[in-house]
Amino acid sequence: MLSCAEFLAEFGDYLEEAASPEVRARLEEHLHECKTCQVIVDSTRKTIRFVTDCDSFTLTADQVEPIVNAVMNRIREKKPR
Amino acid sequence: MGRTVAADNEQIGPFHGLVEAYGFVPNLFVLQKELPRAIEGEQRLIEAIAVREYGLSRRLKDSLFRIVANARGSDYCRALHAQTCPNDGEEGPVLLAFAHKLARHAPWVCKHDVEALRASGFDDSLILEAVLAVALGQLLCTLANALGPNLDAGLPTPALIESSGLPEPVEWVEARGPYLRPGPQPASNFQPYAFFREQFGFVPNLFQEQMLRPDVVEAESQILAQILIPEDLLSRVEKEHIVLLISAANLNTYLVAVHSQILATLGVPLEDSNQIVEDYRCAAISPAERALLDEVRKLAYFPAGSGAGFDPALLRAHGFGEPQILEAVAMAAVTNFLNTLQAGLGAVPDFPPHRVFTRKDLYPSSGPARLISDVPSPDDPDAAIVVRVQGGDTDAFEELVRRHSRRVFGTLTGLLGNLEDARDITQDVFLKAFEHIGRFQGRSKFSTWLTSIAINTGTELLRQRKPSESLDGAEEDDDFRPRQIQSWADNPEEALAASQRTDLVREGVLRLPGKYRIVVLLRDINQLSTEEAAAALGLSIPAVKARLLRGRLMLREGLAPYFIRMEKRSPDAQLR
Repeated sequence: MLSCAEFLAEFGDYLEEAASPEVRARLEEHLHECKTCQVIVDSTRKTIRFVTDCDSFTLTADQVEPIVNAVMNRIREKKPR
Repeated sequence: MGRTVAADNEQIGPFHGLVEAYGFVPNLFVLQKELPRAIEGEQRLIEAIAVREYGLSRRLKDSLFRIVANARGSDYCRALHAQTCPNDGEEGPVLLAFAHKLARHAPWVCKHDVEALRASGFDDSLILEAVLAVALGQLLCTLANALGPNLDAGLPTPALIESSGLPEPVEWVEARGPYLRPGPQPASNFQPYAFFREQFGFVPNLFQEQMLRPDVVEAESQILAQILIPEDLLSRVEKEHIVLLISAANLNTYLVAVHSQILATLGVPLEDSNQIVEDYRCAAISPAERALLDEVRKLAYFPAGSGAGFDPALLRAHGFGEPQILEAVAMAAVTNFLNTLQAGLGAVPDFPPHRVFTRKDLYPSSGPARLISDVPSPDDPDAAIVVRVQGGDTDAFEELVRRHSRRVFGTLTGLLGNLEDARDITQDVFLKAFEHIGRFQGRSKFSTWLTSIAINTGTELLRQRKPSESLDGAEEDDDFRPRQIQSWADNPEEALAASQRTDLVREGVLRLPGKYRIVVLLRDINQLSTEEAAAALGLSIPAVKARLLRGRLMLREGLAPYFIRMEKRSPDAQLR
């Protein structure tokens, strides 16, 4: 059976539901027996959900327009008349 | 012509070999006087291939050089190899047809072409000499097309050799070399083999298969020693990238396989080399190197490239000096030489090739690009707008800025860790994208291309500010193991207010080491697919997956104290 280190090195595709059936079976065999890795899988999934749903690195609509205007003004200034 | 360096006729040298070969030092070499070691290497090759007469006469080799000059559109090389007595065709049409095919359609050359030469009475030694002459012709034409020397005084411009009657290839036959019988094995102290073992770690088949002419192998090792190996101008890796790029453009599986392996021995991961081969514009290289590759790419001989458009001024604008430009051109010329040799000899790869070029890679139109669709990908939601902007509709670009400013800003904030900087640089990224949109050819989605510009721009700024921060590095450079191994609450979101969650994620992401942070940003925050993130970062898909997993686990570690389920602490849990 896989060790925890081997499990942790391999379970990226499993999180994305992209692991091959063989890899998935080996990972689940380990998971079935290992409470610690169950916790890590569960909390990593929650981390992904948490990060994905947070607007930590984005602009609000009223912040977008000044950027659009600044870019287009600079482009139009450079454009040959 | 004469557009690179003002040619003067001052004496350079001593290059007696050139005087012996041509009766004078041609302008092509005078123009390289700021890089004498290149002239020296070229001279040795010319002495070995053009001047020494083993089986083919000098006059006949001049005919072969002119066939290459016609294929490459080099008036200079046609004049340089003009002969006093006219070509009487005594060498027969089979050899001329072979040279024409090797010069113009190298990827199609196969063992049948070599067998046709044998059937016409050419032995392996003569065939090798003919292949060498065509390869040297390619080297000289590459130099001439890039450097644009003035015609040498007193030389006539000969008429074009008529190529009518020589069929265009229609069938791609899988190469099954080697085409020539093996030559004698050299003595154990044969210096060129010692050079290859020392520099490459092995003796490539391409050189072993020329042992009918050990003097030529020696000259080849010397030109590589003069141009590829020194590190005083361009770096070795930059020159290896030129070899990869030109070889890929020429559809040469062999050279790509060998030099990817050589780069691996220099510590460059295979996936990085693959990125140069597949699309260097998405590779993790500096803007200056990208400009270098943009120009050098024009010097590939396939499809029948004339080097048109090679512009040294663009390289000077990126800070390259004359000797560096000369070295890049010489490296491209040597690569075309080696590619031609391989195509003519059918050398088999020394390593299983990671990338095998096949008929699918042929792009029969005569444009400079290969493997590049001229039409943006139909599943790219930005395709129609991109086409409008490329057609001159500046106002259409506004919609692209509006659609993608959040993504660009997000990428830059994560990279730079500063909202104000990110806002300013976001504008720069769009201005760069607008400036270069004519070059965008739809090989990736527009959004991926834009993200790669954002990453390059942000990384460049980061390197200026924090030289220690790197997005590069091996995957296994730190021994990360999860420490927080207690169960989380079922709905961790409920533990914090929205603004606290936003701050927590921002701080957690910004604390990640750069190489993990950027991957988490692209995949989990900007929602790029693994393939898109890999393309934008110039990484392999496995590398992106490994970094993403590591980044997510590190983030999990930072968030855990907020979300551990209080009633179910399990102090005995541990990794096995």
